[in-house]
Amino acid sequence: MERFVEEGLVLSAVEYGEADKIVTFLTKGRGRLSAFAAGARKSKRRFAGALEPGTHLKAQLVERRGDTYRLDKVDVVQSFFHVRDDLALLARSLYCLELVRELTRDAEPHPELFEALRAYLVLLDAKKAGPTSLLAFELQALSMAGFRPRFFPCASCGQDIGDAPRFDPDAGGVLCQGCALRVAASVPVAAGVAKSLAALQAGLRTPLESDVRARARELLNLFIAHHLGRRLKSVDFMVQVGVD
Amino acid sequence: MTPDALNRLVAQLAKLPGIGEKTAQRLAFHLLRAPPELARGLAQSLTEVVDRVRLCSRCFSLTEGEAGAPCGFCTDTRRDDRVLCVVEGIADELALERTREFRGRYHVLHGALSPLEGIGPDQLRIRELLVRLQGQAFEEVIVATNPDVEGEATALYLTRLLKPMGLKVTRLAQGLPMGGDLEYADQATLARALSARRDL
Ligand SMILES: [Zn+2]
Ligand SMILES: [Zn+2]
Repeated sequence: MERFVEEGLVLSAVEYGEADKIVTFLTKGRGRLSAFAAGARKSKRRFAGALEPGTHLKAQLVERRGDTYRLDKVDVVQSFFHVRDDLALLARSLYCLELVRELTRDAEPHPELFEALRAYLVLLDAKKAGPTSLLAFELQALSMAGFRPRFFPCASCGQDIGDAPRFDPDAGGVLCQGCALRVAASVPVAAGVAKSLAALQAGLRTPLESDVRARARELLNLFIAHHLGRRLKSVDFMVQVGVD
Repeated sequence: MTPDALNRLVAQLAKLPGIGEKTAQRLAFHLLRAPPELARGLAQSLTEVVDRVRLCSRCFSLTEGEAGAPCGFCTDTRRDDRVLCVVEGIADELALERTREFRGRYHVLHGALSPLEGIGPDQLRIRELLVRLQGQAFEEVIVATNPDVEGEATALYLTRLLKPMGLKVTRLAQGLPMGGDLEYADQATLARALSARRDL
């Protein structure tokens, strides 16, 4: 039984049985990790409030047989309370947590993704993260997890995307008209939207207009659903409550 | 060989939350050994509860009255018609009722918004709440959802819908337990209480 301390961000916590929880973290050193928190729903003292999604904490863990972990104790580093003052901030934070949970695998360390997620939660908590920042975070997270979509130039031939580009998640992103003819399924995309996403990916932080954001959201949803095999649940939630 | 009827009972009991195969077996043997009135009474209560208990057509709390008729909370004329308290579930309503501090009306949402589990506004009794608020002159809506992420998301969403209707929207305060010791309070609660401090 190995006992260790890991810094982590709570990605999700699901109820297990009558009194327990299974908590999934993105840890700094060991990637995604799920741990069994005995009594987390009943005992107020040990874990109260600390296992809420998004919490940054230091977790005392014990490795059990068969790649499972037990959560012994937690020490909160930052709770990001202010995210809960605003529905858009809260929705964005939960979307990021779900995205990271689905993009990562157990025991595959992603220290740079941990830092990017932490930094984005800090930005949300400071109420400095608008809708464009969410797109920027997603692009960053996708790259770090090894799914970097290409928006400009053409993902296939490397030439200019032209004025009638198309998007194919299977081909890795935006294709020029000529290359798009050779793939089975693709959707049209405005060249301006593709270039805006390429600029965001390159680190430019100019807020995008709402219609550009809406088109960009459609492309990212398509790309993410293609690579994960399903649509993220919190993306539907954002539509239902009318935030982006 | 165990009789089929007994096996069926064990299988049914094992479907209940928190009851495993072993416990189900123990309960089944207990019912078998006890006087038959116990099992018959239990069977009757089970049938009655599914046949008679239903949701109130107005507040979605539980009621046993005629179909379509409002529940006791809704028909009690001594209760305050100006204040409406919105809760996630029946258990929360009962907990508030036990305080004897609240004398207004209730509305039970039957859940909370949960982005990570894909539970949106349409899966809760939110549309019914809006219809109710349009038809009745409440002055204040107390949002008494849980102080967790789902409860907070629900409260923020409701606030956004209700504020434009000219209603006063309030939220239960969050902080330290009564009679608690600051020294032993958990970090999250204490930090929250600190950020929600008030003037004296
Ligand atoms: Zn091309
Ligand atoms: Zn009622």
